[in-house]
Amino acid sequence: MQTVKMVISGAVNAGKTEFIRSISEIEVVSTERRASDDTKLIKKETTVAMDFGRIAVADDLVLHLFGTPGQKRFDFMWEILSEGMLGLVVLVDSTRPETFRETNRIIEFFTSYRDTAYVIAANKQDRPNAWSPDELRLALRQPPHIKVLPCVASQRESVKNILLELLYVIMQRSED
Amino acid sequence: MALVGNIRDFGLSDFLYLVDRGYKTGCLHLRRGDEQAILYFEKGKLIYAARREGEQLGDMLIRQGKLTPEQLEQARQVQNGSTNGMTLTQIILSENMMSQEDLQQTLQTHTEESVYGLFGWPDGEFRFEQGQKPDVNEPVMPVPLPVENLIMEGVRRIDEWGRIKDRIPSTDMIVRFLDQPGAKAKGVKLSPEEWRVFARINGKDTLADIAQKTNLSEFDVCRIVYGFVTAGLVDVVKKPRPAPLSSSPRGAQPMEMPRIKKSLVSRIINRIRGM
Repeated sequence: MQTVKMVISGAVNAGKTEFIRSISEIEVVSTERRASDDTKLIKKETTVAMDFGRIAVADDLVLHLFGTPGQKRFDFMWEILSEGMLGLVVLVDSTRPETFRETNRIIEFFTSYRDTAYVIAANKQDRPNAWSPDELRLALRQPPHIKVLPCVASQRESVKNILLELLYVIMQRSED
Repeated sequence: MALVGNIRDFGLSDFLYLVDRGYKTGCLHLRRGDEQAILYFEKGKLIYAARREGEQLGDMLIRQGKLTPEQLEQARQVQNGSTNGMTLTQIILSENMMSQEDLQQTLQTHTEESVYGLFGWPDGEFRFEQGQKPDVNEPVMPVPLPVENLIMEGVRRIDEWGRIKDRIPSTDMIVRFLDQPGAKAKGVKLSPEEWRVFARINGKDTLADIAQKTNLSEFDVCRIVYGFVTAGLVDVVKKPRPAPLSSSPRGAQPMEMPRIKKSLVSRIINRIRGM
Protein backbone atom coordinates (compact mmCIF):
# COMPACT_ATOMS: atom_id res chain seq x y z
CA MET A 1 0.00 0.00 0.00
CA GLN A 2 1.46 3.34 -1.04
CA THR A 3 0.59 6.46 0.92
CA VAL A 4 1.01 10.03 -0.23
CA LYS A 5 0.57 13.13 1.87
CA MET A 6 -0.77 16.64 1.45
CA VAL A 7 -0.45 19.24 4.14
CA ILE A 8 -3.16 21.76 4.92
CA SER A 9 -1.74 24.74 6.76
CA GLY A 10 -2.83 28.22 7.76
CA ALA A 11 -3.15 30.52 10.73
CA VAL A 12 -5.36 29.65 13.68
CA ASN A 13 -9.07 29.53 12.69
CA ALA A 14 -8.33 29.66 8.97
CA GLY A 15 -10.61 26.63 8.50
CA LYS A 16 -8.17 23.69 8.32
CA THR A 17 -10.35 21.29 10.28
CA GLU A 18 -13.43 22.16 8.24
CA PHE A 19 -11.45 21.77 5.01
CA ILE A 20 -10.28 18.27 5.83
CA ARG A 21 -13.66 17.30 7.26
CA SER A 22 -15.40 18.25 4.01
CA ILE A 23 -13.39 15.81 1.92
CA SER A 24 -12.10 13.10 4.23
CA GLU A 25 -13.60 9.65 3.99
CA ILE A 26 -13.00 9.06 7.65
CA GLU A 27 -14.08 11.19 10.54
CA VAL A 28 -11.38 13.74 11.00
CA VAL A 29 -9.00 12.72 13.73
CA SER A 30 -8.00 15.64 15.81
CA THR A 31 -5.28 15.09 18.32
CA GLU A 32 -6.89 17.59 20.67
CA ARG A 33 -9.76 15.23 21.31
CA ARG A 34 -9.24 12.23 23.53
CA ALA A 35 -11.34 9.09 23.76
CA SER A 36 -12.98 8.98 27.14
CA ASP A 37 -11.53 5.60 28.07
CA ASP A 38 -8.02 6.94 27.51
CA THR A 39 -8.45 9.88 29.78
CA LYS A 40 -6.90 8.22 32.79
CA LEU A 41 -3.87 7.13 30.85
CA ILE A 42 -3.05 10.52 29.40
CA LYS A 43 -0.35 12.50 31.05
CA LYS A 44 -0.93 16.14 31.76
CA GLU A 45 1.22 17.73 29.11
CA THR A 46 0.75 20.14 26.24
CA THR A 47 -1.07 18.51 23.35
CA VAL A 48 -0.65 19.34 19.70
CA ALA A 49 -3.73 20.31 17.76
CA MET A 50 -3.48 18.49 14.46
CA ASP A 51 -6.07 17.20 12.04
CA PHE A 52 -5.81 14.08 9.97
CA GLY A 53 -7.99 12.89 7.11
CA ARG A 54 -7.83 10.17 4.49
CA ILE A 55 -8.92 9.52 0.93
CA ALA A 56 -8.60 6.03 -0.52
CA VAL A 57 -7.51 6.49 -4.12
CA ALA A 58 -7.36 2.79 -4.92
CA ASP A 59 -6.70 -0.52 -3.17
CA ASP A 60 -2.98 0.21 -3.36
CA LEU A 61 -2.92 4.00 -2.90
CA VAL A 62 -4.07 6.27 -0.09
CA LEU A 63 -3.90 10.04 0.22
CA HIS A 64 -3.45 11.41 3.73
CA LEU A 65 -4.35 14.97 4.60
CA PHE A 66 -2.56 16.55 7.54
CA GLY A 67 -3.67 19.81 9.04
CA THR A 68 -0.87 21.63 10.80
CA PRO A 69 -1.16 23.27 14.15
CA GLY A 70 -1.69 26.97 13.62
CA GLN A 71 -0.16 28.17 16.85
CA LYS A 72 3.38 29.52 16.72
CA ARG A 73 4.58 27.32 19.56
CA PHE A 74 4.10 24.22 17.41
CA ASP A 75 6.30 25.39 14.54
CA PHE A 76 8.51 22.36 15.12
CA MET A 77 5.71 20.14 13.79
CA TRP A 78 5.78 21.84 10.41
CA GLU A 79 9.19 20.47 9.53
CA ILE A 80 8.12 16.97 10.51
CA LEU A 81 4.89 17.20 8.53
CA SER A 82 6.58 18.60 5.46
CA GLU A 83 8.80 15.53 5.04
CA GLY A 84 7.72 13.71 1.91
CA MET A 85 4.64 15.80 1.24
CA LEU A 86 3.18 16.00 -2.27
CA GLY A 87 2.03 19.56 -1.91
CA LEU A 88 0.63 22.19 0.41
CA VAL A 89 -2.64 24.08 0.72
CA VAL A 90 -2.32 27.34 2.64
CA LEU A 91 -5.70 28.37 3.94
CA VAL A 92 -6.34 32.03 4.69
CA ASP A 93 -9.28 33.47 6.56
CA SER A 94 -10.29 36.09 4.00
CA THR A 95 -12.21 38.09 6.59
CA ARG A 96 -9.33 38.60 9.01
CA PRO A 97 -6.44 40.66 7.66
CA GLU A 98 -4.77 40.37 11.07
CA THR A 99 -3.84 36.80 10.09
CA PHE A 100 -2.14 37.69 6.81
CA ARG A 101 1.24 38.24 8.42
CA GLU A 102 1.13 34.82 10.06
CA THR A 103 0.10 33.31 6.73
CA ASN A 104 3.16 34.80 5.08
CA ARG A 105 5.32 33.30 7.79
CA ILE A 106 3.85 29.88 7.09
CA ILE A 107 4.44 30.19 3.34
CA GLU A 108 7.97 31.41 3.95
CA PHE A 109 8.69 28.46 6.21
CA PHE A 110 7.43 25.76 3.88
CA THR A 111 9.08 27.19 0.78
CA SER A 112 12.43 28.11 2.29
CA TYR A 113 13.65 24.55 2.76
CA ARG A 114 12.05 22.83 -0.18
CA ASP A 115 10.72 23.79 -3.58
CA THR A 116 7.15 23.16 -2.45
CA ALA A 117 4.16 22.97 -4.74
CA TYR A 118 1.46 25.03 -3.08
CA VAL A 119 -1.77 26.90 -3.63
CA ILE A 120 -3.42 29.51 -1.45
CA ALA A 121 -7.08 29.01 -0.58
CA ALA A 122 -8.90 32.24 0.23
CA ASN A 123 -11.38 30.72 2.66
CA LYS A 124 -14.69 32.06 3.95
CA GLN A 125 -15.51 33.70 0.64
CA ASP A 126 -19.18 33.34 1.56
CA ARG A 127 -18.82 35.77 4.44
CA PRO A 128 -19.38 39.55 4.23
CA ASN A 129 -16.20 41.62 4.13
CA ALA A 130 -14.19 38.73 2.71
CA TRP A 131 -11.17 39.96 0.79
CA SER A 132 -11.26 38.64 -2.77
CA PRO A 133 -8.51 36.28 -4.03
CA ASP A 134 -7.04 39.12 -6.11
CA GLU A 135 -6.90 41.37 -3.05
CA LEU A 136 -5.35 38.58 -1.01
CA ARG A 137 -2.71 38.02 -3.68
CA LEU A 138 -1.65 41.64 -3.30
CA ALA A 139 -1.90 41.63 0.48
CA LEU A 140 0.25 38.48 0.68
CA ARG A 141 2.53 39.76 -2.08
CA GLN A 142 2.32 36.52 -4.00
CA PRO A 143 3.75 36.34 -7.53
CA PRO A 144 1.35 35.89 -10.46
CA HIS A 145 2.17 32.21 -11.01
CA ILE A 146 0.97 31.18 -7.53
CA LYS A 147 -2.69 30.20 -7.54
CA VAL A 148 -4.87 32.11 -5.08
CA LEU A 149 -8.27 30.43 -5.16
CA PRO A 150 -11.70 31.17 -3.72
CA CYS A 151 -12.76 28.65 -1.09
CA VAL A 152 -15.59 27.83 1.26
CA ALA A 153 -14.16 25.03 3.38
CA SER A 154 -17.55 23.75 4.49
CA GLN A 155 -18.48 22.99 0.88
CA ARG A 156 -17.15 19.73 -0.52
CA GLU A 157 -17.08 20.89 -4.12
CA SER A 158 -15.07 23.94 -3.17
CA VAL A 159 -12.55 21.81 -1.29
CA LYS A 160 -12.35 19.36 -4.21
CA ASN A 161 -11.55 22.26 -6.52
CA ILE A 162 -8.69 23.42 -4.29
CA LEU A 163 -7.16 19.94 -4.13
CA LEU A 164 -7.51 19.50 -7.88
CA GLU A 165 -5.81 22.83 -8.55
CA LEU A 166 -2.94 21.79 -6.29
CA LEU A 167 -2.71 18.47 -8.10
CA TYR A 168 -2.50 20.28 -11.45
CA VAL A 169 0.46 22.26 -10.09
CA ILE A 170 2.06 19.02 -8.90
CA MET A 171 1.36 17.39 -12.26
CA GLN A 172 3.35 20.13 -14.04
CA ARG A 173 6.37 19.31 -11.91
CA SER A 174 6.06 15.53 -12.11
CA GLU A 175 7.90 13.23 -14.48
CA ASP A 176 6.62 10.70 -16.99
CA MET B 1 -18.42 44.83 -0.28
CA ALA B 2 -16.08 46.69 2.06
CA LEU B 3 -12.61 45.60 3.13
CA VAL B 4 -12.32 46.03 6.87
CA GLY B 5 -9.54 45.60 9.38
CA ASN B 6 -7.18 47.36 11.75
CA ILE B 7 -3.97 49.07 10.69
CA ARG B 8 -2.28 47.51 13.71
CA ASP B 9 -2.40 44.23 11.76
CA PHE B 10 -2.37 45.46 8.18
CA GLY B 11 -0.47 48.74 8.00
CA LEU B 12 -1.41 51.81 6.03
CA SER B 13 1.60 51.45 3.78
CA ASP B 14 0.56 47.84 3.00
CA PHE B 15 -2.92 49.08 2.17
CA LEU B 16 -1.58 51.80 -0.13
CA TYR B 17 0.45 49.11 -1.89
CA LEU B 18 -2.72 47.04 -2.38
CA VAL B 19 -4.64 50.04 -3.72
CA ASP B 20 -1.83 50.90 -6.12
CA ARG B 21 -1.23 47.39 -7.47
CA GLY B 22 -4.93 46.57 -7.47
CA TYR B 23 -5.69 49.75 -9.44
CA LYS B 24 -8.47 50.41 -6.95
CA THR B 25 -11.15 53.11 -6.92
CA GLY B 26 -12.93 53.83 -3.67
CA CYS B 27 -12.72 55.46 -0.29
CA LEU B 28 -10.63 54.40 2.70
CA HIS B 29 -12.24 55.41 5.98
CA LEU B 30 -9.98 55.43 9.04
CA ARG B 31 -10.98 55.88 12.65
CA ARG B 32 -8.98 55.96 15.87
CA GLY B 33 -10.90 57.05 18.91
CA ASP B 34 -12.22 60.51 18.10
CA GLU B 35 -9.92 60.92 15.12
CA GLN B 36 -11.12 60.24 11.60
CA ALA B 37 -9.65 60.36 8.14
CA ILE B 38 -10.81 59.67 4.61
CA LEU B 39 -8.74 58.94 1.53
CA TYR B 40 -10.25 58.77 -1.95
CA PHE B 41 -8.53 56.77 -4.68
CA GLU B 42 -9.15 56.55 -8.37
CA LYS B 43 -7.53 53.73 -10.33
CA GLY B 44 -4.85 53.28 -7.70
CA LYS B 45 -3.94 56.95 -7.29
CA LEU B 46 -4.88 59.31 -4.47
CA ILE B 47 -7.23 62.14 -5.37
CA TYR B 48 -8.12 63.52 -1.97
CA ALA B 49 -7.44 63.04 1.72
CA ALA B 50 -8.65 64.82 4.84
CA ARG B 51 -8.27 64.26 8.54
CA ARG B 52 -11.95 64.94 9.11
CA GLU B 53 -14.84 64.15 6.85
CA GLY B 54 -16.89 66.79 5.14
CA GLU B 55 -14.27 69.51 4.95
CA GLN B 56 -15.41 71.75 2.14
CA LEU B 57 -12.98 72.71 -0.61
CA GLY B 58 -13.98 76.33 -0.53
CA ASP B 59 -13.52 76.66 3.23
CA MET B 60 -10.10 75.07 3.00
CA LEU B 61 -9.00 77.40 0.17
CA ILE B 62 -10.29 80.46 2.05
CA ARG B 63 -8.41 79.27 5.12
CA GLN B 64 -5.24 79.00 3.00
CA GLY B 65 -5.80 82.49 1.56
CA LYS B 66 -6.20 81.20 -2.00
CA LEU B 67 -9.82 82.35 -2.48
CA THR B 68 -11.90 85.13 -1.03
CA PRO B 69 -15.36 84.42 0.41
CA GLU B 70 -16.85 86.38 -2.51
CA GLN B 71 -15.06 84.19 -5.07
CA LEU B 72 -16.29 81.09 -3.27
CA GLU B 73 -19.87 82.37 -3.33
CA GLN B 74 -19.57 83.08 -7.05
CA ALA B 75 -18.20 79.58 -7.71
CA ARG B 76 -21.03 78.00 -5.75
CA GLN B 77 -23.60 79.95 -7.74
CA VAL B 78 -22.05 78.70 -10.97
CA GLN B 79 -22.07 75.15 -9.58
CA ASN B 80 -25.73 75.37 -8.58
CA GLY B 81 -26.58 76.55 -12.07
CA SER B 82 -24.52 73.84 -13.73
CA THR B 83 -26.43 71.02 -15.40
CA ASN B 84 -23.51 68.71 -16.09
CA GLY B 85 -22.36 68.01 -12.52
CA MET B 86 -19.19 70.10 -12.60
CA THR B 87 -17.09 69.81 -9.46
CA LEU B 88 -16.05 72.87 -7.50
CA THR B 89 -12.44 72.15 -8.57
CA GLN B 90 -13.45 72.32 -12.23
CA ILE B 91 -15.38 75.56 -11.72
CA ILE B 92 -12.52 77.27 -9.89
CA LEU B 93 -10.24 76.42 -12.81
CA SER B 94 -12.73 77.31 -15.57
CA GLU B 95 -13.52 80.67 -13.93
CA ASN B 96 -9.75 81.33 -13.64
CA MET B 97 -9.96 81.90 -9.90
CA MET B 98 -6.76 79.88 -9.49
CA SER B 99 -4.24 78.39 -11.88
CA GLN B 100 -4.14 74.60 -12.19
CA GLU B 101 -0.60 74.59 -10.89
CA ASP B 102 -1.48 76.61 -7.81
CA LEU B 103 -4.59 74.57 -7.08
CA GLN B 104 -2.72 71.29 -7.56
CA GLN B 105 0.10 72.41 -5.27
CA THR B 106 -2.30 73.63 -2.57
CA LEU B 107 -4.41 70.48 -2.62
CA GLN B 108 -1.38 68.21 -2.88
CA THR B 109 0.29 69.74 0.16
CA HIS B 110 -2.94 69.50 2.12
CA THR B 111 -3.48 65.89 1.01
CA GLU B 112 0.09 64.78 1.68
CA GLU B 113 0.16 66.24 5.17
CA SER B 114 -3.16 64.57 5.93
CA VAL B 115 -1.76 61.19 4.92
CA TYR B 116 1.67 61.54 6.55
CA GLY B 117 0.09 62.09 9.92
CA LEU B 118 -1.74 58.78 9.59
CA PHE B 119 1.49 56.80 9.40
CA GLY B 120 2.02 57.61 13.05
CA TRP B 121 -1.17 55.84 14.12
CA PRO B 122 -0.21 52.62 15.93
CA ASP B 123 -3.71 51.27 15.36
CA GLY B 124 -7.07 52.27 13.94
CA GLU B 125 -10.05 50.68 12.27
CA PHE B 126 -10.14 50.90 8.50
CA ARG B 127 -12.94 50.32 6.02
CA PHE B 128 -12.44 50.52 2.27
CA GLU B 129 -15.62 51.13 0.29
CA GLN B 130 -14.99 50.00 -3.26
CA GLY B 131 -16.25 52.35 -5.92
CA GLN B 132 -17.15 55.17 -3.54
CA LYS B 133 -16.40 58.51 -5.17
CA PRO B 134 -16.09 61.93 -3.58
CA ASP B 135 -18.93 64.41 -3.54
CA VAL B 136 -18.72 67.15 -6.18
CA ASN B 137 -17.97 69.62 -3.37
CA GLU B 138 -14.94 67.74 -2.12
CA PRO B 139 -11.48 69.13 -2.97
CA VAL B 140 -10.11 66.54 -5.39
CA MET B 141 -6.76 67.18 -6.99
CA PRO B 142 -6.78 67.93 -10.72
CA VAL B 143 -3.86 65.51 -11.13
CA PRO B 144 -4.11 62.33 -9.02
CA LEU B 145 -1.13 61.49 -6.83
CA PRO B 146 0.83 58.23 -7.20
CA VAL B 147 1.17 56.49 -3.85
CA GLU B 148 4.81 55.37 -4.02
CA ASN B 149 6.15 58.65 -2.72
CA LEU B 150 3.53 58.73 0.00
CA ILE B 151 4.68 55.32 1.15
CA MET B 152 8.35 56.34 1.13
CA GLU B 153 7.70 59.53 3.06
CA GLY B 154 5.43 57.74 5.47
CA VAL B 155 8.11 55.19 6.16
CA ARG B 156 10.65 57.95 6.71
CA ARG B 157 8.44 59.11 9.54
CA ILE B 158 8.21 55.72 11.22
CA ASP B 159 10.55 55.21 14.09
CA GLU B 160 9.14 52.01 15.37
CA TRP B 161 11.67 49.28 14.99
CA GLY B 162 8.92 46.73 15.63
CA ARG B 163 7.17 47.42 12.35
CA ILE B 164 10.40 47.23 10.42
CA LYS B 165 11.43 43.99 12.10
CA ASP B 166 8.17 42.42 11.05
CA ARG B 167 9.19 42.61 7.43
CA ILE B 168 12.94 42.57 7.93
CA PRO B 169 13.61 40.23 10.86
CA SER B 170 17.37 40.18 10.47
CA THR B 171 20.16 42.10 8.79
CA ASP B 172 21.39 38.81 7.39
CA MET B 173 18.78 38.96 4.65
CA ILE B 174 19.58 39.64 1.02
CA VAL B 175 17.97 42.55 -0.83
CA ARG B 176 17.02 42.10 -4.46
CA PHE B 177 15.06 44.07 -7.02
CA LEU B 178 11.59 42.96 -8.01
CA ASP B 179 10.69 42.31 -11.64
CA GLN B 180 10.78 45.77 -13.11
CA PRO B 181 11.93 48.18 -10.46
CA GLY B 182 13.06 50.67 -13.10
CA ALA B 183 9.50 51.48 -14.09
CA LYS B 184 8.40 51.96 -10.48
CA ALA B 185 11.59 53.76 -9.46
CA LYS B 186 10.95 56.53 -11.96
CA GLY B 187 8.12 57.84 -9.80
CA VAL B 188 10.01 57.66 -6.52
CA LYS B 189 12.05 60.52 -5.12
CA LEU B 190 14.90 59.41 -2.89
CA SER B 191 17.07 61.28 -0.45
CA PRO B 192 20.87 61.07 -0.87
CA GLU B 193 21.03 58.43 1.89
CA GLU B 194 18.36 56.40 0.20
CA TRP B 195 20.21 56.62 -3.13
CA ARG B 196 23.33 55.29 -1.48
CA VAL B 197 21.45 52.23 -0.33
CA PHE B 198 19.51 51.85 -3.60
CA ALA B 199 22.75 51.85 -5.60
CA ARG B 200 24.16 49.02 -3.47
CA ILE B 201 21.32 46.57 -4.08
CA ASN B 202 22.67 43.72 -6.19
CA GLY B 203 20.74 40.60 -5.14
CA LYS B 204 23.78 39.23 -3.29
CA ASP B 205 24.62 41.65 -0.48
CA THR B 206 22.80 41.44 2.82
CA LEU B 207 21.52 44.43 4.75
CA ALA B 208 24.55 44.11 7.02
CA ASP B 209 26.85 44.21 3.96
CA ILE B 210 25.07 47.30 2.64
CA ALA B 211 25.38 49.02 6.04
CA GLN B 212 29.10 48.36 6.04
CA LYS B 213 29.61 49.60 2.48
CA THR B 214 27.53 52.77 2.94
CA ASN B 215 28.72 53.61 6.46
CA LEU B 216 25.11 53.87 7.57
CA SER B 217 23.77 52.26 10.71
CA GLU B 218 22.03 48.92 10.32
CA PHE B 219 18.84 50.51 11.64
CA ASP B 220 18.92 53.20 8.96
CA VAL B 221 19.59 50.68 6.20
CA CYS B 222 16.72 48.49 7.44
CA ARG B 223 14.41 51.49 7.64
CA ILE B 224 15.33 52.60 4.11
CA VAL B 225 15.00 49.10 2.66
CA TYR B 226 11.68 48.70 4.51
CA GLY B 227 10.48 51.72 2.56
CA PHE B 228 11.64 50.17 -0.72
CA VAL B 229 9.92 46.89 0.15
CA THR B 230 6.69 48.62 1.05
CA ALA B 231 6.78 50.68 -2.15
CA GLY B 232 7.12 47.47 -4.14
CA LEU B 233 10.62 48.14 -5.44
CA VAL B 234 12.61 45.37 -3.78
CA ASP B 235 12.22 42.18 -1.84
CA VAL B 236 14.22 40.71 1.05
CA VAL B 237 15.00 37.02 1.15
CA LYS B 238 16.80 34.71 3.54
CA LYS B 239 20.42 34.06 2.84
CA PRO B 240 20.63 30.58 1.32
CA ARG B 241 21.96 27.94 3.67
CA PRO B 242 25.48 26.73 2.92
CA ALA B 243 25.16 23.65 0.75
CA PRO B 244 26.24 20.34 2.30
CA LEU B 245 29.15 18.64 0.48
CA SER B 246 26.99 15.89 -0.97
CA SER B 247 24.29 18.22 -2.30
CA SER B 248 23.08 18.55 -5.88
CA PRO B 249 24.72 20.98 -8.31
CA ARG B 250 22.01 23.55 -7.44
CA GLY B 251 23.84 23.96 -4.17
CA ALA B 252 22.19 26.54 -1.95
CA GLN B 253 18.80 26.56 -3.71
CA PRO B 254 15.85 25.13 -1.80
CA MET B 255 15.85 21.33 -1.88
CA GLU B 256 13.81 19.97 -4.73
CA MET B 257 10.87 17.80 -3.86
CA PRO B 258 11.38 14.18 -4.85
CA ARG B 259 10.09 13.77 -8.40
CA ILE B 260 6.72 12.12 -8.53
CA LYS B 261 5.28 10.19 -11.42
CA LYS B 262 2.56 11.75 -13.57
CA SER B 263 0.65 8.49 -13.51
CA LEU B 264 0.36 8.63 -9.74
CA VAL B 265 -0.85 12.23 -9.77
CA SER B 266 -3.30 11.34 -12.52
CA ARG B 267 -4.82 8.57 -10.41
CA ILE B 268 -5.35 10.94 -7.50
CA ILE B 269 -6.89 13.57 -9.79
CA ASN B 270 -9.34 11.06 -11.21
CA ARG B 271 -10.29 9.87 -7.75
CA ILE B 272 -10.98 13.34 -6.43
CA ARG B 273 -12.94 14.30 -9.54
CA GLY B 274 -15.12 11.29 -8.96
CA MET B 275 -15.90 12.13 -5.32
